[in-house]
Amino acid sequence: MMTSQKHRDFVAEPMGEKPVRSLAGIGEVLGKKLEDKGFDKAYVVLGQFLVLKKDEDLFREWLKDTCGASAKQSRDCFGCLREWCDAFL
Amino acid sequence: MAAAAAAAAAAAAASAAQQLSDEELFSQLRRYGLSPGPVTESTRPVYLKKLKKLREEEQQPPPAPPQEQQQQQQQQQQQQQHRTGGRSAKTRNNNNNNTAAVGAPPGAGAAAAAAGMGGRPLSGDLSYLRTSGALSRGLASAPDNPPGAAAAAAGATAAPALAAGGSKVLLGFSSDESDAEASPRDQASGGRKERAALQSRGGAKPAPLADGEAGPGQPAERRKPHAWWGARRPASAPEPLGAAGREGAPEDAEEGGDGGGGGGGGGEREPEGEELRWTSRPVNGSRLLPFSCRENYSDSEEEEEQDNVAVARPLFRDDSLLRPRPRRSHGKPPAGVRGEAPHPATATAGGCPGSDRAAGSLDRRRGPEEGGGCDPLDCSPIPRYRLNSKKPTPLLPDGDLTLDRKTNNHIGRGGFHLDPPRVYANSIPHSSLVASASSSPLGINHSNHTGSNHTYLKNTYQQKLSEPEEELLQQFKREEVSTPGGFSAHYLSMFLLTAACLFFLILGLTYLGMRGTGVSEDRALSVKSPFDETFEKIQANEKNLMMNSLYKLHDRLAQVAGDHECGNSIQRRLSVQEVAAYLKDLGPEYEDVFNMSLQWILENGKDVGIRCIGNGSSEDLTNITDVQFLQSTRPQMSFWCRFRRAFVTVTHRLLLLCLLLLLCFGVVMACVVLHYVKYHWTKEEEETRQMYDMVIKIIDVLRSHNDACQENKDLQPYMPIPHVRDSLIPPPDRKKMKKVWDRAVDFLAADESRVRTETQRIGGVDFLVWRWIQPAASRDKILVVPSKVWQGQAFHLDRRNSPPNSLTPCLKIRNMFDPVMEIGDHWHLAIQEAILEKCSDNDGIVHIAVDRNSCEGCVYVKCLSPEYAGKAFKALHGSWFDGKLVTVKYLRLDRYHHRFPQALTCNVPLKPSNKHMNSMSHLRLQTGTANSQGSS
Repeated sequence: MMTSQKHRDFVAEPMGEKPVRSLAGIGEVLGKKLEDKGFDKAYVVLGQFLVLKKDEDLFREWLKDTCGASAKQSRDCFGCLREWCDAFL
Repeated sequence: MAAAAAAAAAAAAASAAQQLSDEELFSQLRRYGLSPGPVTESTRPVYLKKLKKLREEEQQPPPAPPQEQQQQQQQQQQQQQHRTGGRSAKTRNNNNNNTAAVGAPPGAGAAAAAAGMGGRPLSGDLSYLRTSGALSRGLASAPDNPPGAAAAAAGATAAPALAAGGSKVLLGFSSDESDAEASPRDQASGGRKERAALQSRGGAKPAPLADGEAGPGQPAERRKPHAWWGARRPASAPEPLGAAGREGAPEDAEEGGDGGGGGGGGGEREPEGEELRWTSRPVNGSRLLPFSCRENYSDSEEEEEQDNVAVARPLFRDDSLLRPRPRRSHGKPPAGVRGEAPHPATATAGGCPGSDRAAGSLDRRRGPEEGGGCDPLDCSPIPRYRLNSKKPTPLLPDGDLTLDRKTNNHIGRGGFHLDPPRVYANSIPHSSLVASASSSPLGINHSNHTGSNHTYLKNTYQQKLSEPEEELLQQFKREEVSTPGGFSAHYLSMFLLTAACLFFLILGLTYLGMRGTGVSEDRALSVKSPFDETFEKIQANEKNLMMNSLYKLHDRLAQVAGDHECGNSIQRRLSVQEVAAYLKDLGPEYEDVFNMSLQWILENGKDVGIRCIGNGSSEDLTNITDVQFLQSTRPQMSFWCRFRRAFVTVTHRLLLLCLLLLLCFGVVMACVVLHYVKYHWTKEEEETRQMYDMVIKIIDVLRSHNDACQENKDLQPYMPIPHVRDSLIPPPDRKKMKKVWDRAVDFLAADESRVRTETQRIGGVDFLVWRWIQPAASRDKILVVPSKVWQGQAFHLDRRNSPPNSLTPCLKIRNMFDPVMEIGDHWHLAIQEAILEKCSDNDGIVHIAVDRNSCEGCVYVKCLSPEYAGKAFKALHGSWFDGKLVTVKYLRLDRYHHRFPQALTCNVPLKPSNKHMNSMSHLRLQTGTANSQGSS
């Protein structure tokens, strides 16, 4: 599967204080919505991801509800976080 | 009403989910085999959705009773905790009952769930639930009404009913019920039905609803609600029962209102009942409101129901059973709730509407009755009974009477049976009437419930109740899908039948044809014989005799030949002796005519059906004595033989025909395939060619883009693939060229090492891009620098840099080449050619020698005279050749001859070997005037 540059960039290193928009699948619009809901950093979304026990269905559902992410966006975001977790957790 | 319950159930599921506590949510998710994380504010919605989905999935297959039962029990236990100890015990009993009943009634589940919805909210939520429930009902009801004319009637009659009296009101209710019934059939959710009912009610009397809400506080109103429920039930019953049910309902209502008042006041009470009923609808909510405890109970039950939506029916019964007790203790509210639920169920039971409705009514009645039992509601049950039985007898008929009626009802309508018993049970505590009798009726009722009615309901509504609309839709879809298949099968069978018919028709025709010819031949014989010439000579009696013998002989021979044809005998003909013997057997007189007959046959010469054959081969026989055998020309065959032969013939011909067709078809197919393959090949070839064209174009674009990037550093060194495509293919062709383009892209990815495919983010969007990775410099050198070309004049010649006149006829030219860089054996010829071309206007050059070993790149030239040498000097000196500045010196002739002795004899001017002047191409383009200037 072809992964985006953003995905590779994010997965390549610890996320540190990266903003939520650095997540794959989260662009300007979704990033804005997430920030409005308090998810201003990537690690906050990671927290939600972990709280949902890395469950794909639940996380994507949550992302959809929270910021109206499309199927592709939520899939990208999920894949990005899961891969990051596989690498750094 | 049942519909309402179902609809409510659906709505309830959602609302119920909302009100689940975190712990409940967690435990329920666990039950579905999920291990949820912490339920927090942010995760809760997600889990709720998941739970809902899981529930829906679970409902698809038949409900899983055990789990649901457990849930119910748990919920019930919770409820019990809320309740007093005594109540809890009752509820537990109910639970047991429920478990027993659970298997049977799936349909009830929806209703129960709906009820649960209403009941579930606590006192605080009650108002919300009511309103929501009422609204939903109203909304849903409108669409559902159409199915039953009753629905329309309900809406229309509702208003009049109010004015007219309880009976009319009942009618309105009944219409609601009918709607509910219709709706299940329509696959509409029970809730709709309920809603429809509500709407009709609401449409008729919106005010009453308000009253009901307001009224909760008043006990009378509460009772009324129950009564109202009772009325509804009657109404539901009325469909089967008729007016009686309606009447009964009003009575019930009245009774409820009166708090166990006498049945005699029914007429007067009816109006009240109507009011009560109206109020009662709202009442569901309102009832609950007044009795917080009851509400709690109902809520818990409802929750259970909601949870067990699929198992709703069992719950239903359970609820009804359970509720009555709690209701007794608490009052009417729960009963009302349950009553609604049962109604839907009853309504839905199309096959046994009466019984189902009865059951529903029973449940409801129980509720009210029970409630009445606790309070003044006892009366209501009785009226209901009356309604069922259509007997307006006093409210508190003796137990026996009621029992009888019940039994009657049971016989006629199973559902009603149940009601009476329940009523009894409910009423027993409160009213003196029932007393001992109640227990047995109850049992009966239970049995009835569990009986066919329930099962029927299950069958019809199991799925519908749980997920009515979706299931129905799916079923519809399936049916739609299946129908085409059926059609095709139908057509296939029709086709086969037609083919078989055709086949046998052909067979029959063939057979008939063969037989027809046979018959005609026979006739021909008979016709021919009489008109024969020789025949006239014979005397009349002998003529008859001979004809008879001939006929017999003909038949006999035909039979023999037929047997032979059919394979029954080896012999095809009879010998003369055999024939004679045969004729002798027939009669001595025939034997005498035999010879004459033979003679006649021979002389006749025509085909009479008998052929005489001699010993020899085929020569004509003229003498009787020569005849050895007789043979029939028209074999006579039996029917079966004929049939078999016809069949074989037809089959044979058909087979041949088929083979021929197959052959033709095969040839055609082969041609088609060939053409297609050819077409395919050409197309593929064409595509491949286009693909390579495209690849070349792409590479050109990328290369030029790369060049542009070298000059303009602002440009990105890569190009998005879609952009390349759009720049190469005009919009109208893009669709057509898509395949070609895709192949070209694949080709580039696989076989083009100078292009790299990668992902780049451009303008915030990820693009697949191409990057040209071949370094630009090396390529430029190779391509741009031509070899062995005159490149122009470095300076103008004047006195300072050239001698004024030519001194000798010999020249030494330097810097023409670098021996290290030259490749091959014949490069010196190219240099020679270049000099001759440069001096093309000079025809005095007689000798050129390239010193291949000189590191200065020296070339020696000898001209005819010093003048020519001067011309050559001017043409060559100071020119750029192959990137080097050429210089020329005069050389003394003797030294030249000393070095190149062979030049002594050279006096023929040399000319360029061709007219292309390749080495001058650059010069002509760039500095075409330099030569003329130099030469002048």
